[in-house]
Amino acid sequence: MAVLLISLVALTLIKATPLIYAALGGVISERSGVINIGLEGMMAIGAFAAVVISYYTREPALGILAGIGAGALGGYVLGIAATRFKVDQIVAGTGINLICAGGAAYGLVLIYNQPGASAQVPALGREYWVLVALAFVAAAALHWLLARTPWGLRIRACGENPAALASAGIDPLAMRVYAVTLSGALAGLGGAFLSLGELNLYSDGMTAGRGFIALAAVIFGRWNPLGATFACIAFGLFEALQYVLQGRIAWLPADAMQALPYIAALVALAGITGKVRAPAADGVPY
Amino acid sequence: MKVKALTALLVAATCALSLAGCAHRRGPAPGQLTLGMVTDVGGLGDRSFNDSAYRGLQMAHARIGAYVQVLQSRSAADYQPNLTALTNLHFDMVYAIGFLMGLDLDQVAKQHPQQRYAIVDAVIDDPNVVSITFREQDGSFLAGALAAMVSKTHHIAFLGGQDIPLIEKFEAGYTAGAREVDPNIKVDVKYAGSFEDVAAGKELSNLLFNDGADIIYTAAGKVGLGAIDAVKSRDGDYIIGVDSDQDALAPGRVLTSMVKKVDVAVFDVARSLQEGKPMHGHVEFGLKDGAIGLTDFRYTKSAIGEANLARLKAIQAAIVSGKIVPPDSRKALAAFTPVPL
Repeated sequence: MAVLLISLVALTLIKATPLIYAALGGVISERSGVINIGLEGMMAIGAFAAVVISYYTREPALGILAGIGAGALGGYVLGIAATRFKVDQIVAGTGINLICAGGAAYGLVLIYNQPGASAQVPALGREYWVLVALAFVAAAALHWLLARTPWGLRIRACGENPAALASAGIDPLAMRVYAVTLSGALAGLGGAFLSLGELNLYSDGMTAGRGFIALAAVIFGRWNPLGATFACIAFGLFEALQYVLQGRIAWLPADAMQALPYIAALVALAGITGKVRAPAADGVPY
Repeated sequence: MKVKALTALLVAATCALSLAGCAHRRGPAPGQLTLGMVTDVGGLGDRSFNDSAYRGLQMAHARIGAYVQVLQSRSAADYQPNLTALTNLHFDMVYAIGFLMGLDLDQVAKQHPQQRYAIVDAVIDDPNVVSITFREQDGSFLAGALAAMVSKTHHIAFLGGQDIPLIEKFEAGYTAGAREVDPNIKVDVKYAGSFEDVAAGKELSNLLFNDGADIIYTAAGKVGLGAIDAVKSRDGDYIIGVDSDQDALAPGRVLTSMVKKVDVAVFDVARSLQEGKPMHGHVEFGLKDGAIGLTDFRYTKSAIGEANLARLKAIQAAIVSGKIVPPDSRKALAAFTPVPL
């Protein structure tokens, strides 16, 4: 029983970590007024870049940094598209998802001469628990930064009333580009955690919808870093529960078990509607 | 205007390139056996299914002098045009690779009753189609028997991708094989719900190992890569790989792989045509054709031991002779009882 409980807790934390990074990215982006549908793609390109750099340098720590950088680049592109070119944010984000997944798939062929999956590369090993802990530190830090610092006030103003920010002499467009870039960096770190923290390879489709779950967590968490983190932990817990319970309850098929996290999410969503309010200028080009 | 000109240029360039691609290809010689193949979206280079089928065509080229042409599908919308294109070229046999092409092939085959077709992993009920499927349960039975012999904890596990009938064949055969050797063995079964979520494969494998299973058989596509990563740091535990030979991915820790040789089946169909006795209807390939089987245990022979290998051979012979009939579903598994050898 104790063993079961420990694996459940460990599994919950491992499942939640990449979601938390991506969800924190989602919070920053949306609080600045840009809906980031591209989290999934930024995770994928982060996971891919991390593996490639670790492959060439044999240094997984550099790989993690490259993952952050690649995610930031994806965020920067989305930021520019959403501000300077006023592209519809949903369309631009979807484009980022397609470009990142396709780019990584093509990169696999170029670098490893095989489609589908990369070679096995040097990975973090037990040090990945540092990244698990860091996710929670990052959540607390972001919460404090957003709520208590001038930096946070500017991000929030940018998402609520960008005109007011402009009248204070700060360019809301530059602020948004900056926020979405940061958002991509966090999503990239979440992807790198998957490919170099948990595993030691990149494989097409390995992010498996985590970016979209993170996006849902942003909304469950009411655009608040701590709320989003809590939503990610809850999702990780239900995912871990379905892993552990599968096969233990004979009459319940695996498919039904796999629906558990999503059913839980629906119930949670039904429970908190009415009070949810997005940043006023979220998704509105300035 | 500028955009239009650019589009026209692109179209022209694409046409020129595709024509250039065809220009230097020699057509088949008169009387030469002609084989066409349409890949599914996985395409050539997938190191698995489509590549294996293509190897079968290359075998046909090398051994019986067949003329071979492959069309790759970029999306499911390409299936019918590709099949029709090869049909219009009057190939002696057109192969459709993969379960996904079933409905499209059915339509094309009905429109062209004079053309011979073959499909892998699906059963299409048209008189001009050969349906090739595999007895995955036979090879999985051997995998389960081996796992039960090697397990020290009398507790093994199965990790599936999605819970679909094809994967159920693997699960049922494996569990039955394990019971054949050790009627009281515990077999845990979990599904990842995906064929791509590699991390889930690692998490589920760690869970199964921590629960006391010491061997996991994966039938889960790329999810299996996560399982192989999990076993690397676990002395005494093993993974059994699937589809292709995965033994070298973690030497000594992958006990064996249950290999499905699409190439053998594709070649056999071509040879039957060459010999004037074309196969038709539903053809199942299994252990006795050498199209299904375990690898040669090159990293794990000493861990398994001679006695176990001999016993495995006896079980294989019993399956080939029909003395043991491995179940292909959970329902059939419930009715399975170990056969005394």
